[in-house]
Amino acid sequence: MNYLDIANSSLLFTVVAFVIAVVFVQSVIFMVIAWRRGVELGISRKKMLDAIRSSAIFSIVPSLPILLALVAMVPVLGLPFPWLRLGVIGSAPYELLAANIGAQSMGVQGLGYSGFTDQVFINSMWIMSLGILWSPVLFLLLAKRMQKGMNNMKKSDSKWLEIMIASLFFGMLSVFIGQPIVVGGIQLATILTSAAIMFAITAFIRRYSIDWLSNFSLSIAMIASMALAILYSRIM
Amino acid sequence: MNKPNNHLLYEERIHFVGRVSSIAVILMLLAVPAIISINYNLFPTMTAFLKGLAMVWMIYLPICIAEVLTYTPMVGISGAYLSFISGNLANMKIPCAAMAMDNAGVKGSTDEGEVIATLSIGASTIVTEIIIVAGVIALVPLTPVLTSEVLAPAFQNILPALFGALGVYWIMRQWKLAVTPLAFVILVSALVPFFTGKSIPAGLLIPVSGLLSVLAARYMYNRGWVVSAGNE
Repeated sequence: MNYLDIANSSLLFTVVAFVIAVVFVQSVIFMVIAWRRGVELGISRKKMLDAIRSSAIFSIVPSLPILLALVAMVPVLGLPFPWLRLGVIGSAPYELLAANIGAQSMGVQGLGYSGFTDQVFINSMWIMSLGILWSPVLFLLLAKRMQKGMNNMKKSDSKWLEIMIASLFFGMLSVFIGQPIVVGGIQLATILTSAAIMFAITAFIRRYSIDWLSNFSLSIAMIASMALAILYSRIM
Repeated sequence: MNKPNNHLLYEERIHFVGRVSSIAVILMLLAVPAIISINYNLFPTMTAFLKGLAMVWMIYLPICIAEVLTYTPMVGISGAYLSFISGNLANMKIPCAAMAMDNAGVKGSTDEGEVIATLSIGASTIVTEIIIVAGVIALVPLTPVLTSEVLAPAFQNILPALFGALGVYWIMRQWKLAVTPLAFVILVSALVPFFTGKSIPAGLLIPVSGLLSVLAARYMYNRGWVVSAGNE
């Protein structure tokens, strides 16, 4: 039996669709609980709807590279399993790395090389599934402790907790800002363009106090500078 | 009922739902290869499996630990339950939640911030899952569009396009917090490839940059140079 018959079997499709459905339901349940809590706290419906709407719209474009990874994985791993892996926890670089290690540890040169049998496929499946399980498992184990820690910090010095969260955020931002600056070229041009567009939109919003626009400023700046990156690649 | 009681009730409910649903998803993720193994009587050889798993864990265990410690405060506890299941934190969930909280005028460490972040991350997760399903259904017609050479530079530059805008927005708010980590990242990203010929993956750089950033913030906070996370 060709391993792709297993990889594209209706059994695997059904199981994967079920898991994705559960992840979907989990998000809905959390949103319902948060919404009720928001009403209790007196947050306006408009504010909560704005958060949902702007987040949903923003998420469309960063989701597209996931499809690109799906296209790359399907010829070697079939359709359902990459769907699962990219829809839950995983990111494209991790999945490709784990799948490759799974193949190599079975003595095959890599994904898609000759000798990629059904046994190599199941090895890749197991390793991809177990390899990155640590983040949800560790969070599960630490969640209550971290909550307690953050609650204590809030009680003793809430200003510092706010600043600490902001500084962690700046630590992450710096990595994604600093690297393209060093790389230069189109990446640098794109990051500067995106920054300039965001600066202009923010100034525009303040000048004419068009508050609703701030919900979409990030999406607009991102899409516009992606479009300009195409132009830069032609002329640089 | 008064507010503190509701707060505890909310926390307990989130932990209960979060635990049950996360454990369910984790078990199901393991059930997928298990079902295939049993149904087709197909098992990897033990040595190959253990060797491969050890290699992946060696790379990803440190990254996972760092992610849980640095990302959880940014998305809040309930947001973290969702984010660590659905993934894509740095490139999607965190920017999304940060902007949603800021636009709503709430801080991440507050009850209101937790609500907005959870709604934001939930919406983001649902959209991503829908897009992937659409991709699975329409893979054949979508493939030429996604892999077209015209669009390639746009997809290759999605992170600079996202973080240029995000960066300028937050640096305008509180530039002092950005100086240390940004200087560190630029220095390290320029020097390490120069000496070793290899660049450092973002996953390794983020926890170090985050730690330095917190230390610098504490220093400035103690000296009164930084008194709040927002506008000054």
